[in-house]
Amino acid sequence: MSSSALAVSDRLRATSRARHAKDRALMVLAWAALVVAVVPLVAIAWFLVEQGVRSISLEFFTSDPPGDLSASGGGIRNAVVGTLLMTGLATLIAVPAGIALAVFAREIGGRVAGSVRFVVDVLAGLPSIVVGIFVYSLVVVTTGHFSGLAGAVALAVIELPVIVVASDELLRLTDRRIDEGTRALGMLRWRSFLSVFIPTALSGIITGVLLAVSRAIGETAPLIFTALGNNFFTLDMNEPVQAMPLLIYRNALNSAFPAARDRAMGTALVLVVIVLAFNLMGRWIARRARPADQR
Amino acid sequence: MTTTPIRLQPPPVEPAPVVSVSAASHNAKMLEPAELSVELSGVNAFYGSRRVVRDISLPVRSNAITAIIGPSGCGKSTLLRCINRMHELTPGAHVEGRIEYHGIDLYAPDIDPVAVRRTIGMVFQQPNPFPTMSIHDNVAAPARFNGLIAGKAAEHDLVERCLRQAALWDEVKDKLKAGGTSLSGGQQQRLCIARALALEPDVLLMDEPCSALDPIATLQVENLMVELKRDYTIIIVTHNMQQASRVSDQTAFLTMGDDRAGYLVEMADTVEIFTNPRQQLTEDYVSGRFG
Ligand SMILES: Nc1ncnc2c1ncn2[C@@H]1O[C@H](COP(=O)(O)OP(=O)(O)OP(=O)(O)O)[C@@H](O)[C@H]1O
Ligand SMILES: [Mg+2]
Repeated sequence: MSSSALAVSDRLRATSRARHAKDRALMVLAWAALVVAVVPLVAIAWFLVEQGVRSISLEFFTSDPPGDLSASGGGIRNAVVGTLLMTGLATLIAVPAGIALAVFAREIGGRVAGSVRFVVDVLAGLPSIVVGIFVYSLVVVTTGHFSGLAGAVALAVIELPVIVVASDELLRLTDRRIDEGTRALGMLRWRSFLSVFIPTALSGIITGVLLAVSRAIGETAPLIFTALGNNFFTLDMNEPVQAMPLLIYRNALNSAFPAARDRAMGTALVLVVIVLAFNLMGRWIARRARPADQR
Repeated sequence: MTTTPIRLQPPPVEPAPVVSVSAASHNAKMLEPAELSVELSGVNAFYGSRRVVRDISLPVRSNAITAIIGPSGCGKSTLLRCINRMHELTPGAHVEGRIEYHGIDLYAPDIDPVAVRRTIGMVFQQPNPFPTMSIHDNVAAPARFNGLIAGKAAEHDLVERCLRQAALWDEVKDKLKAGGTSLSGGQQQRLCIARALALEPDVLLMDEPCSALDPIATLQVENLMVELKRDYTIIIVTHNMQQASRVSDQTAFLTMGDDRAGYLVEMADTVEIFTNPRQQLTEDYVSGRFG
């Protein structure tokens, strides 16, 4: 073997040893980070299941809570239905408004779009209790009473920036060549958005919407002085409406009573499962909305 | 005041004395010599204050293929985009001069740019089928949106006719429901041609339509163009000299002046340009002696 070949092999060996050490250190770090992230997650999940599962029964979903928090029995039907109704209504308001705002910002461009984006950013950063106060003075004071509608408006304000940001990003990614294609084909702008750009961005927009929904579903602060809460079952959005976070809040405050504490834990578990279900559903829809060849 | 936009009518097939301009017939004029389709006179194009096309006049013959050749950056794409009023969509861009389509000033205030784009179709350098639409819908949807067809049966006929015209039918007839972007590049380009044809345009602008294609697909598209010129007027931008000499009937050679704006050096029948150009610049360019 020539001396230069020896030097080369030496160098190879040295490098590879150093690299392996670095490699191993990085792997250890990555695993450590994973553990740090996963342990609390598993702990919370375990805690919720362990504490909550004993409250879960058919009755838990089919009956309303007893008038007295400290009494055992009853369920959370009014809160589940109230949460779904208010979040659904909020989404019905926020999705078209959010997408329209994003389309508007993209289409107008320039300073107007800049200020739309700024306002949306500010909205996204507002503490949710402030959103609650705002909607309180806007809706509750005007109509003269607390209502599910006011709660839905508050949740819509929470959802709106998430939807605008997601839609804006995705519409921005729409290929310029596709854009030119629609123009060269004499397609009107609203038609291009409706039939080409939004469908192209759809899976991402749906993901954004579900993100917004799962954020809104767990919000408590904006509901405290809008929806207020209601011990009874109602479908009337003109009345105060119960929501799961409100129910958790009131029962957990009274967790000196075992019944209230269990009710709070059980509701928390149900809430997490619902959020998870929305999340999984969103992923599934997002996958189906993708063009056939990218699935 | 808003004026009612007119819908540009493709001209009648046989010698036509006047262009039929639907309702707003006050705008109708005597036709230029029947065989001119598009006529540019003294066209200047700007991006902001920068002039990129200077004083170009081009008579474009009907039912013929006109090739535009010239070095990169001399404004060929820009010129093409002036013809179907796409240029003005770039913020700050504007056009000066006159562009007529069968004697109608395409930049007259009562002309609807959207109608111009429907009459003067465009195929781009990069195939750009709509990603979420099937092959079928890529062809049918724009025609449907423009109110040209209604009903499933009509759509089906249109899709088949246009795909046949674009020489793509046999390759895709069994998978019309597949995504438009699942095709090969050459197939996608022919799909985009079919899509443009579905609007029944009269003029087809093609900006380097083969530059993303392999030689076989290129040949297919070239044969297609020759087929299409029976029914359409075609203007093609190309960097491929053989392509220009193979398919086109007349050729315009553009180059950049000292102000870096493109101007027309020479326009003539393709045979003339390639065998007997009048300008030294043209001869240098087409024979590959430049720079
Ligand atoms: N959107 C734009 N904004 C500003 N300048 C532009 C824009 N598009 C093109 N230009 C400029 O205009 C000039 C002409 O461009 P154009 O694309 O028309 O050239 P071309 O002849 O088509 O070139 P190529 O053969 O490379 O496609 C170039 O100098 C280019 O930099
Ligand atoms: Mg170009």
